[in-house]
Amino acid sequence: MAAETADAGARPRALAARAVAGVIDQGQSLDAALAAWPSDLSGADLALARMMAYGTLRDYRRLGALLAPRLKKTPQPVLDALLRVGLFQLEATRVPAHAAVHATVAATKSLKLSKARGLVNAVLRGHQREPVRLGDEAAVGVMHSYPDWLVERIAADWGAAATEVLAAGNDRAPMHLRVNRRRTTRDAMLAEWRTADLSASPMTVCADGATLAAPVAAERLPGFAEGRVSIQDGAAQIAADLLAAHDGQRVLDACAAPGNKSAHLCERADIALTALDIDAGRLATLEATLARLGLSATTRVGDAAEPAAWWNGEPFDRILLDAPCSGTGVIRRHPDIKWLRRATDIDTAAVRQRRLLEALWPTLAHGGRLVYATCSILAAEGDDIVQDFVAATPDASALDPAPLVGQPTAFGQRIAPGAHDLDGFYYAVLVRE
Amino acid sequence: MAILEILHFPDPRLREVTEPITVFDEALSRFIDDMFETMYDAPGVGLAATQVGDIRRVAVMDCSEDKNERIVMCNPRILWSEDEEVVDEGCLSVPEHYDRVTRATRLAFAAQDRDGSEYEMEVEGLLAQCVQHELAHLDGGLYIDKLSRLKRERIRRKMAKNAKRQDEA
Repeated sequence: MAAETADAGARPRALAARAVAGVIDQGQSLDAALAAWPSDLSGADLALARMMAYGTLRDYRRLGALLAPRLKKTPQPVLDALLRVGLFQLEATRVPAHAAVHATVAATKSLKLSKARGLVNAVLRGHQREPVRLGDEAAVGVMHSYPDWLVERIAADWGAAATEVLAAGNDRAPMHLRVNRRRTTRDAMLAEWRTADLSASPMTVCADGATLAAPVAAERLPGFAEGRVSIQDGAAQIAADLLAAHDGQRVLDACAAPGNKSAHLCERADIALTALDIDAGRLATLEATLARLGLSATTRVGDAAEPAAWWNGEPFDRILLDAPCSGTGVIRRHPDIKWLRRATDIDTAAVRQRRLLEALWPTLAHGGRLVYATCSILAAEGDDIVQDFVAATPDASALDPAPLVGQPTAFGQRIAPGAHDLDGFYYAVLVRE
Repeated sequence: MAILEILHFPDPRLREVTEPITVFDEALSRFIDDMFETMYDAPGVGLAATQVGDIRRVAVMDCSEDKNERIVMCNPRILWSEDEEVVDEGCLSVPEHYDRVTRATRLAFAAQDRDGSEYEMEVEGLLAQCVQHELAHLDGGLYIDKLSRLKRERIRRKMAKNAKRQDEA
């Protein structure tokens, strides 16, 4: 039997370790790290490498705590990542233990860590024989693998529900789809997927939404290329319900890229949509999305906080402000967020969110409606922003949320990650007198 | 000692069924040493006699990290096996190809050492996988027999192409 057997499994482990180190050590986003993977990686190896990179980042801090007692000194970043990838397999996957150890040890070769071969082998075999177990006294941030500052903020905002919120951020996210009601119906799409042996079910909280039982790549999803369906979390689909734009209205999507919410608004009604974004490259993605779905909008590159540069003075009947945020509501889809964000980022984001709201308000027609949204679960980026704004703006008031999908807050609603199977989100609906 | 030529699929000699060893002499011992040297050189973790064009029922293995745990299996037979898993596997007679096959996780086998002495051994993991792989060789089997006909055909074509390229070089 050939000796390189394990090398076939070494590659996905090496790539997963590199991606994890890219996030932790170089501050790369996981998406960027994955984009650097070689294009010939496919099928089972790609799935395995992704599963290990995501899983290791979800469980990163706890894995470190399991690892620490077996190490005399801090390993260099890539070795540290490989050890955690190895432990993750032993802890949380159905990869047979000896295969996990063997392939992870073999991964040292392509990572130029051959000198650490023995160490990787000893640590993983040691854990296999006699796993370190964390006692009840271990910190919440270790057990659930979050940085302490984020645990504190979530605890302050969510109280008794905080543990559930932390745990939900470590679950694997479902694949949610949005049916383009201009081209087909949800029932017709469900039937089409059934014919293709894909198991999908309608979402109760989203009129256009469906959940796919097992994820499928976009290019192999029946209806995607033909523009009958898009991939979008259900929590984001609620924006269109709350905005309730009608035929003929002038609508602004202020931070529009990559364009899923813009597209949904155009699918729902014959509106004159201006899709604005500060990033020209990401706006090109939006244009491609609209083209795929057979929709059109006026696209503008510009900073939503500086309307003088892009606004012609005609007020909008509806504005969607899906403000840039910490992304703490979508940690289950982007586990790297836990390790890339700093406590100070929240304050910086809040300053920007307040400025956006203030700058856009004058562009809203009297009697018009603005939906403020973030995929953050922190009050500092949600209700606190709206509270301050409403207090300082005489002609602004918050409507009772309808539909109410999450929990009502003083000024809007918040959706806990995992509630109704959705991403964590915040929404407020403001009207101008 | 000498490094022997390893036959490549689809060489028909790989399909020979080996004959039980009855004489444990100096010649057999020398052959076993050559098999080890050939296996380490390849590099491999196991080698069966059919792979070097011999029909004696013997295979050698060493699945250790430090290449210091030699196992000689003359006339081996599996006593019991349990649990199955899907593992990556490759074969020195099917170079540069790896695939996933189902193997028992643990097993015990009985065999004779190079001097004819009987022994039994319980193994798991890579070693268990290797025992199953080598035993199949001794009956003319290859791990790719477990794959679909389509995959096997693809491998056959790839091997033929490689062989041609080597002839031309």
